[in-house]
Amino acid sequence: MGSYRQQPGASPSEVRKDGKRVAGKQVFPPPGSGGSEPKMRPRDLDYIPETVGGREPKPAGDHIHDRDRTGTIVGKAIPLVDSNAKVTGQAWYGDDVRLPGELIGKILRSPHHYARIKSIDTSRVEALPGVVAVSTGQDAPNRFGVLPVTKDEHAMAVDKVRHVGDLVACVAAVDESTAIEALSLFDIEWEELEPVFDPKKGLEDHDEPIHWRGKYHLARTNVQKRVFQEFGDRSLVKTPHAASHGSWTMLGVHHGFTEPHAVVAHWDPNGRLQLYTPQQVPHYTHRALSTVLDVPMHQINVVRTFVGGGFGGKSDPFPHEMCAAILARKSGAPVRITFDREEVYWINRGRHPSHIDVKMTADTEGRISGFDIDALIDGGGFASFGHVTSYYNGVLATAPYELGSFHYTGARVWTNKPASGAMRGHGAVNTRCAVEVGLDEMAEQMNVDPIDLRLANLLPPHSRTISGFRITSNGMREALERVREGSSWDSKFRQLPLGKGIGIGCGFFISGSGLPIHWDPKNFPHATVHIQVDMDGGVTVHTGAADIGQGSTTAVAQVVAEVLALPIEMIHVRSHESDTSPVDLGSYSSRVTFMNANAAIRAAIGIRDQLLKAAWEMLGYHPNVLVLNDRRIYYKHDPAVGVSYLQALHKAQADTGALIARGAYRSPPMGGVHKGAAAGLAPAYSFSAYVAEVDVDIETGLISCTNVWAAHDCGKALNPLAVKGQIIGSCHMGLGQVLTEKMVYGRTGHLQNANLLDYKIPSVHEMPHVEAIIVESSDPEGPFGAKEAGEGPLLPILPAVVNAVYDAIGVRLRDLPLTPDVVYSGIQKHLKKNGLEEPEDIESPRLSHGPLQEILVARGDEHRERDRLRQRSEDTSAYVNGVLFGFDPDRPLSEQVEGWREADEPLPEQLAELGFAGRAWLKKEQRHMEDDA
Amino acid sequence: MVGEEHVSMIPAPAGKRWAATVNGRPFEVLAPSNAVLLDVLRDKVGTLGVKRGCDLGTCGCCTVMIDGVPKLSCLTLAGQVQGADIITVEGLSDGAHLAPIQTCFATHGGSQCGFCTPGFLVASQALLNENENPTRQEIACAIEGNLCRCTGYQQIIDSIEAAAAIHRGESETLAPASEPHPDPHPSGPGEPTMPPGHAK
Repeated sequence: MGSYRQQPGASPSEVRKDGKRVAGKQVFPPPGSGGSEPKMRPRDLDYIPETVGGREPKPAGDHIHDRDRTGTIVGKAIPLVDSNAKVTGQAWYGDDVRLPGELIGKILRSPHHYARIKSIDTSRVEALPGVVAVSTGQDAPNRFGVLPVTKDEHAMAVDKVRHVGDLVACVAAVDESTAIEALSLFDIEWEELEPVFDPKKGLEDHDEPIHWRGKYHLARTNVQKRVFQEFGDRSLVKTPHAASHGSWTMLGVHHGFTEPHAVVAHWDPNGRLQLYTPQQVPHYTHRALSTVLDVPMHQINVVRTFVGGGFGGKSDPFPHEMCAAILARKSGAPVRITFDREEVYWINRGRHPSHIDVKMTADTEGRISGFDIDALIDGGGFASFGHVTSYYNGVLATAPYELGSFHYTGARVWTNKPASGAMRGHGAVNTRCAVEVGLDEMAEQMNVDPIDLRLANLLPPHSRTISGFRITSNGMREALERVREGSSWDSKFRQLPLGKGIGIGCGFFISGSGLPIHWDPKNFPHATVHIQVDMDGGVTVHTGAADIGQGSTTAVAQVVAEVLALPIEMIHVRSHESDTSPVDLGSYSSRVTFMNANAAIRAAIGIRDQLLKAAWEMLGYHPNVLVLNDRRIYYKHDPAVGVSYLQALHKAQADTGALIARGAYRSPPMGGVHKGAAAGLAPAYSFSAYVAEVDVDIETGLISCTNVWAAHDCGKALNPLAVKGQIIGSCHMGLGQVLTEKMVYGRTGHLQNANLLDYKIPSVHEMPHVEAIIVESSDPEGPFGAKEAGEGPLLPILPAVVNAVYDAIGVRLRDLPLTPDVVYSGIQKHLKKNGLEEPEDIESPRLSHGPLQEILVARGDEHRERDRLRQRSEDTSAYVNGVLFGFDPDRPLSEQVEGWREADEPLPEQLAELGFAGRAWLKKEQRHMEDDA
Repeated sequence: MVGEEHVSMIPAPAGKRWAATVNGRPFEVLAPSNAVLLDVLRDKVGTLGVKRGCDLGTCGCCTVMIDGVPKLSCLTLAGQVQGADIITVEGLSDGAHLAPIQTCFATHGGSQCGFCTPGFLVASQALLNENENPTRQEIACAIEGNLCRCTGYQQIIDSIEAAAAIHRGESETLAPASEPHPDPHPSGPGEPTMPPGHAK
C-alpha cells in the first residue's frame, strides 16, 4: 500500500506524537536494479491466480488475463489515487475554476408550467450598468439532446417553456448581485398554455402537445415513447398455481449529489472554446456544444473538472453549458455559471415517477411461468435518456430468473415538469422492486421459502435470457446463499415478533451498454486508452473515463500498474481534457471499469511487450520465460538474471524515444433482431442479493432499517475497498428512495421541496449497518474478471426493505417511498379489513412449508451442481431460457411450442386488454410537422 | 431612461474591511457588509476547499472551524466573525504532512467524489480535538449535520475511528479495517526470490 504524504519525504513508519508524520527518506526504495543485489520485493503470490502458479483461488477456472497478473495491486484494497487532492481541499470542482476577468452568468427561468413566449424585451437588462452580455433562445436555435433520436432541447426556450424553471434567457455581469438584479429586468409577454402534470393524462390527446415527434408522433398525445415486447408461451399463464398482481406508484427521486452544477466557459485567443464542467459524459457535451454553437468539435476543448457526485445526473449535455459558452462568446470574457440547489432540481434528470403494474404467475412446480409488466413513466418536459428508460423498465426484469413468458408494455410521456432522466440503476430499479415483491407474495401463496423459490429458478452462468441477452458469469446463486447464511435467515424469516421483519431482494444490471449511442461498434470501439512512457519511467495514461468519485481513474491506474508490475504512484492518469483524451463515452451504464480497464490492459500489454523485447535482447531469454515484478524483469528460473525496468525501458527507447501504445475495447456482437433488441444488451451482467432487517413502529408507521446483508457479484473486485464503498453507498441511496425521498409536486404542479431540507436524504442516523459481501464470479471478458459494482447494488435494497416490512406487519405496501403516513394508512386499512381494533392485534405472517418446498430445495441443489460446472465452462451446451420448462435448446422455440411468440407490437385482439401504458398502442402514428425542425 | 426607473433591490457590494485569521495566517480583505463567510472564504481569501452545496445549512459541505467550533460558513455572516480564528480543510495539515484524519479518509474509503469531504474532515477534526476516544454513536452525532451521497457514511465512521486511534497513539498502521485478505506476508517476505548465497 502506498503511504500517504502531501509532499514526498515522509516515511510511513515514523509518526509523531500528534499523529503527523515526520519527514524522512523517499518512499521509493532503489528500484530492483540488475546488479548483483537486486532489492526486489518478492512476488505477492496471494494475488497471483493459482492457474498461473500463484495462490489466488480461481473457482471459475482460467481467465484470459491471468497471465497478465503480476500480483502488484489488483485485488488489494487501496485508496483512490486522487484521494489526496480530495482530503486537502485541492480537488477542483466546477465552481472552483476561477479564470482571471471572469463574469458571473445567471439564468432566467420560467415562472410558468407551459407557456408560449410572445416576445422578450431585453433593453432594460442591457441598460443596467455591469451587465456585459445578454442572450435569449433566438441566439441558439439548434436543437440538441443526449440521444440522437430525441433531440428536443434548446439552450434556452425558443418558442415555448415546458416547465417551471425551464431556461428562458441568461445574462453575464461583473458580479453576482448585478446578474441577479438583471434577471428582474426582462420584459416578457407570455401566452399561457394548458399544462399536463399527470402522466395518465399524457396518454390522451392534447390541444398543444409538449413536443412534436414528426412522423412518429402518436395522434395528439404527449407520448414520447411506447414499447411492446412479448416473448414466450403465453398459454402458460392461463392456469397459474400462484399469482401476484401489484399496482405500484413510485414517486420521482433525485440524485442528490452534493455538488450543484457549475460551468465555466472561455474562448481562448485562438477562438477555441474551453469549457470546464463537472460532467460524467464530457463527450456528449462536446457533441452538443458543436451542434448548438455551430463550431466544429476540434475547436472545442471540454475539460472535465472533478465531479462532486453524478449518479446519472450529470450525464446529459446541459443547456446551461450552452448558455455559458454563448455568453462567453458574446462578452469576450470567461463566464462562470453556478447553480443554487433549487436550480439543481429544475434541471433534474432524476428517476422517473412511475406507475408500474406487475402480474406474475407460477405453475404447480414452482416455475415462474410469466411476467406481465406495464410501466407508465413520467418523463417531464424533455426526452433526455427516456427512450432507453422506456425499454429498461421492462427488459432488465428478464433475468436472473428463468421465465416461461414475458410481456411488457411501457410508455414514457412528456409532462410539464422538470425532465426525468438516468439515475443510478437506470430504469431497472422500480420494476425490479415490483417483481421481487411479487415473488415474495407468490412464495407465500405456495408456502415456500422465497430464497428457495429464487434458487430453484435461476438462470445458470453462460446462458441466454428469454429476450436474448447473453449472460456470461453469474454469481446470483452464491450471493443468495451468502446473504442467507450471513443474516441467519432461516432462524428469522417469518419468525420475528410483530414490528420486526426481514426480507430478501435480488438485482440484475448491465455492465456497460453493448451499443455506443453515437456510432456503430463495428466501426469504432467503445473505449480507447493511450499510454506513454518517457525516459523517467513514469507512465502517463490518457483516457476519457470520467471519474465521478466511483474510482475509475484508480481502476485504470491499477490495471496498468498490475500489468507493468510498477508501483501505482508511477502511473499518472490524464482524463480531464478532450484535447488529450481519446474519445470515450464516460461514466454511464456502469461501463467504465469494464470497458476502459479492458482497453487499458491492452494498452499496457503493448508497453509490456516492448519492454520484454528489449529485455530479450539484453538477456537472451525469450519473453515467455521472463517475469515482471517490482520494477524488474528477470529470468523465470534464476531471478538474479535480469534487468531493471529502467534499463529495459531505455533499451526499448533507443531508437524510438518515448514508448507509446494504445488499447481499445469493443463489445462482441450480441443480441436478437427484434425492435429494441439492443436495449439492455451488455457484455456482462452483475447480480446481487440483499437481506434487510427492519423495525416498524406499528403505532406511527415509522420504519427504521437496522441491518443489511448485501452480496454483490462484481466479477472480480479490483479494489475491494472501492467495491464495498459502492455497495454501502448504493444501499444508502436505495434506502432513501424506499423510505424517505420523493419529489413532491403539489396540486398546482409546482415542485414543493426543491432543497435538501425538505428532500430527505438519509442522514448518518438513518443508515443501517451494512455488511458488504463481495461475490467474485470472474467474468470471462471483464478486466481481470471484473464487472460493474456501481449501479447494480442499488436494486435489491428496495424490495428487500418492502418485503421486510411485510414480514414485520403483514401489510403489503406498494406506494414508494414508505413514509410513516403511507405505512400508517396501510396499517389502518389492514385493521379495518380484518376487523381488528388495535395495531397490536395484527398477526405477523408465519410460514409452514408446503409440499412444494421440498421440490424446490431439491431442484435448487441440482441446479447448484449444474451452475458449478457451467461456471467453469466444463458444461458447454447452450443454456437457453426455457430448458426448465422442458424445451430443447437446440431447436427454435417457435417450432416446439404452439403459440410461442416473439413480438414487438401487440396483436389487434390484445389491444383491449393492455395495461395502462399499453393504452399508448391504441393511438396511431401521424405525421405532424407543425413544430418539427 | 429605463435604467433610471429601476430601483435596485440588492445593496451595492460596498467594500468593508474584514479581518480574521484563516488557517493561521492573518487576512484582511474588503467584503460587502452583507457577505456570508462562505463567499468571503471562497471569493476573497481563496480557500476553495470550503464547498457550497446548498446555501441553506442543510448539507454541511461548507463547515469550517471558528475558534475551534465547527460551524456552517453559509449561515455565518462574515461580519459576525471579525477577528476570529478560522480553520478550513486547507488548514488541517501542517503544510507538509497530512493530518491523521485526512490520511484515514483516504485509506478507509471515507471520500468518494470528495465534495462533502472538506466539511466532514473539519467536523470530525473538531470532534477529535475534544474527544480522542469517541464511540461510533458519538462520531455519528458529530457528523449528523453533514450529508454524503456516495459513501453511506459507514466508511466515513471507519475513517474517523481509525484517526482517533492514531490520535490516541494506539495505532500507527493505516491499513483499512476492511482488508479483504489478511496481510499475506505478516512476518516478511515468504517466497525466496534470490537463490541463497547468489553473488557474482
